[in-house]
Amino acid sequence: MGPRPDELDDEIRGHLALSIKERIERGEDPEAARLAALKEFGNLTLTRDSIRAVWRPRWLESAEALWHDVRIGLRSLRRAKGLAATVVVTLALGIGANAAIFSVVRAVLLRPLVNRDEDRLIYIRQAAPGIRAENLTFSIPEINDLKSRVTTVGTFGDFSTVDFTLIGLGLEPRTVKAGVVGGTFFDVMGLRPVLGRLLTPKDDGPNAARVVVLTHRFWRTSLKSDPEVVGKVIRLGPGSATVVGVLEPSVPYPADTELIANVVASPHHLGATMVTSRVHRMTELFGRLAPGAALEQARAELTSAYATMVREHPEAYTPKANPQLRVTTLRDQIASPARTVLLVLLGAAAVVFVIACSNVANLILARSVRREGELALRAALGAGSGALRRTLFAESLLLCGAGAVLGIIIARPLVAAVAGYAARFSVRALDVSVDNSVLWVGAGLALTAAVLLAYVPRLPSSHAPAGLGLASGGPRLTPGTNRRLRLFATTQIAFSFVLLAGAGMLLTTLMALQSARTAYNVQQVLAVDIPAAVTGAGGAGVMNFYREVTRRIGQLPGVQGVAVGSFVPWRDAGTFGSGFQFAVEGYTPADGEEPTRARMRMVSPRFFAVVGVPLVAGREFTDEDRGGGEPVAIVSQSIAQRLFPNGDAVNRHMLWTDPVFNLRGGPAVSRRIVGVVADADDENVAPGSAMTVYQPVVQIGVGGRLFVHAAGDPYALVPAVTRVVREVSPDAPVERAATLADIRTEVLSPDRLNAFVLSGFAGIALLIAVVGVSGVLAFSVSARTREFGVRLAIGSAPRQLLARVLSEGATIAAIGIAAGSAGGYLLSRVAARFFEHVQMPGPLPVAGAAAVLVAAAVVASLMPAARASRVDVVQALRSE
Amino acid sequence: MAKTTDDRLALLQGTLDMLILRTLQWGPQHGHGIGQAIRSQSDDLLKIETGSLYPALHRLEKRGWLKADWRLSEANQRAKYYRLTPAGKEQLSREQDRWSQLVNAIGRVMNPARALKE
Repeated sequence: MGPRPDELDDEIRGHLALSIKERIERGEDPEAARLAALKEFGNLTLTRDSIRAVWRPRWLESAEALWHDVRIGLRSLRRAKGLAATVVVTLALGIGANAAIFSVVRAVLLRPLVNRDEDRLIYIRQAAPGIRAENLTFSIPEINDLKSRVTTVGTFGDFSTVDFTLIGLGLEPRTVKAGVVGGTFFDVMGLRPVLGRLLTPKDDGPNAARVVVLTHRFWRTSLKSDPEVVGKVIRLGPGSATVVGVLEPSVPYPADTELIANVVASPHHLGATMVTSRVHRMTELFGRLAPGAALEQARAELTSAYATMVREHPEAYTPKANPQLRVTTLRDQIASPARTVLLVLLGAAAVVFVIACSNVANLILARSVRREGELALRAALGAGSGALRRTLFAESLLLCGAGAVLGIIIARPLVAAVAGYAARFSVRALDVSVDNSVLWVGAGLALTAAVLLAYVPRLPSSHAPAGLGLASGGPRLTPGTNRRLRLFATTQIAFSFVLLAGAGMLLTTLMALQSARTAYNVQQVLAVDIPAAVTGAGGAGVMNFYREVTRRIGQLPGVQGVAVGSFVPWRDAGTFGSGFQFAVEGYTPADGEEPTRARMRMVSPRFFAVVGVPLVAGREFTDEDRGGGEPVAIVSQSIAQRLFPNGDAVNRHMLWTDPVFNLRGGPAVSRRIVGVVADADDENVAPGSAMTVYQPVVQIGVGGRLFVHAAGDPYALVPAVTRVVREVSPDAPVERAATLADIRTEVLSPDRLNAFVLSGFAGIALLIAVVGVSGVLAFSVSARTREFGVRLAIGSAPRQLLARVLSEGATIAAIGIAAGSAGGYLLSRVAARFFEHVQMPGPLPVAGAAAVLVAAAVVASLMPAARASRVDVVQALRSE
Repeated sequence: MAKTTDDRLALLQGTLDMLILRTLQWGPQHGHGIGQAIRSQSDDLLKIETGSLYPALHRLEKRGWLKADWRLSEANQRAKYYRLTPAGKEQLSREQDRWSQLVNAIGRVMNPARALKE
């Protein structure tokens, strides 16, 4: 828009011509008239420019003004390099942490799944809060009941996980994790094949052909994306199966399986236990909402159908377990384990951002006090308050922009780190990539900070004529500015306190877990997986294999003892059910009392001596306890004390009464209790009481875990142990050798990561807060030089001034801590969700955090305090 | 009849637009003519600087109160002639109202006795 330049010139030329003509007509000399007209017109260029300015769009004008201010800001910041660097780095930390964590949160919690109409996809789970079971999964009769009673869910899909030995496809024989699914599963999930086909209802039933679909990850990594894989026949467990297709890349849920088979491929799934036992729960249930049905409707209908089912089968649902149905979208279900962790992280990052902003606000406020003279001068020369704000905004925009750029640079590696961390909680974090959301978050935060910071300093008031006088004087602190400075410093302390207390709580909890006394000899015992049972040899062969392996390893130098078990403490947690019902001779449960439940473990002779669990009464298993001999058992101390209060557990009898075993046929076997051992909680790292029944491996047949008690370094034995096992059985895998101590460390690694990450945040926050407190006091001291000079002149000792400034720092810290305590209390609530089975640590971390902060504040005030005590009286008094 | 520079009145801020609109009520005119007209109408008391006049003309054109076209001037030069648009006429009457209110108000303050009589 606007006139063309030549039009403008024409207009001006026209004006001049008329003006000249008029003068000539009045009788002036032509040349004199020309000069007079030009003189009257004034500055040609200026007029042309101001005409053009009229037509320039408004935003362009503001942008130009801002750009002008930015250049001024750049120049003035170059004179304050230290301040600029502090501000930029502080902001970069805040922005980088937020951008990185936000992009992981977005990828894990918010991004849709690849599944067709993924918002219609639901996950149904059975929880039993009474026995702390988040997900009991379902049995086939339960699934059939639900299916037949609801209409809001169009189709159901079921999925259970089974370990198979896979032979074929040119791979070494290996154990694979496989999903077993009904024919509707893939249709419900809304997934497509990249090769061949997926499973359909035609693959259901006992007479279908055995077929498997490979998951994309397995196909890509193990089979190098073999395009010819469809149609190949593999050996899968006891039978063979044909590969019919490869699944598209998708979130592996509920388990990261390598292949997915139809029901007929798993003999267990066709057995009576699987089909008829209501409590044989191992199947996960998915559903696709019927057209028009909402999640809420489906939840209501499923819940009421479930309640009816529970009423009809009281034997399968105990009031103590308090079973309940939970219905969520699949996306929420997948994200839920990571949700708390990520949200806490996001909160911590936001807190760091607030701390960073208040620190930067402090620095900028202090700076603006120093340049109050400059601002007052500009105001006096006619700059409106808008223009002054714009100057401040340009400067804070510069600082925040630089902070954002640096923040985004550090965000990129941070995203990878946070994603690796979050992958422990949700499979979705595996494929988090750095995307533009980092940029947007970074830019957004920087702009927010810039706007806030531009409004922090007070503009010189037009009512204060003294403002101009400041142009020559040093900085002077008005009470209002001083209050603001202290407010920001207090904010930083308060937020840092929350973070420090939170990190302290996680750390103390972690240390308590790490150093918790266990019944095991964790340092010297090496656990090795030797899954002999899955390689096909069964029965007596396996027992001979174990006997031979233990005999030969026992002869190795440096081995103090060796035994076979079925369960590696902590590492195998959750893989063997939550316990089975049993009864003992001589103890009748009172009416309404829950049936007693115990964990079932299979161990070989000398097991307890090897792992270091003390024998309390009776004896260990010996080689005399044979497969065909008298059935025997050893119970843990908890069982002995609870069921045999008179201390006469040995030689009494127990038997398993859980419906799972009854359905296998035949009456339950009564076992004589031959020993009592100390409680050894192999499920939880934080040891609790453990109701456990041990049985000889030879009488049950399940082993697969080798325990070696080493005299010296346990890991030095690994090559020899591997060699011996291979000598006995060349195909036997020897996997995951680790000491119990290292296994505990490994199991605790998510907790350690939590503590580590939060401590990192707390450390950053502490650092920023120290800089903040120190900066406020340093500024306050330098602005009060005259005051200190007067104090010294009238007889204050330098030591008193020192103490005075130190106490100011301590006061800021104390107020901040008091304010943060309320927040810290709230945080303890959050932390309680992190570690559910651990008591919250007492006031120790809180007191610790407070002590750290006060100490930091005192250290931060030392320098300014020293400066205050060294004020030169004469110079101070002369300074104005 | 010409006044010295000292006798000239400084233009009240915001009144230039009104003067321009008012001048153009007589018909289309170019910039020079508008300046001259204001000067002669005010008995030489008001002299509009070209540095203010032309930006003001363009500002009014941009806001749609004036329209311009090119014609040959009396000096046989191409000149840009401005004329009032209907919106410009409305604006003029608004500004005139405001002006008379202002004059009235100032008059009352300066001359309370006369204001009471009225």
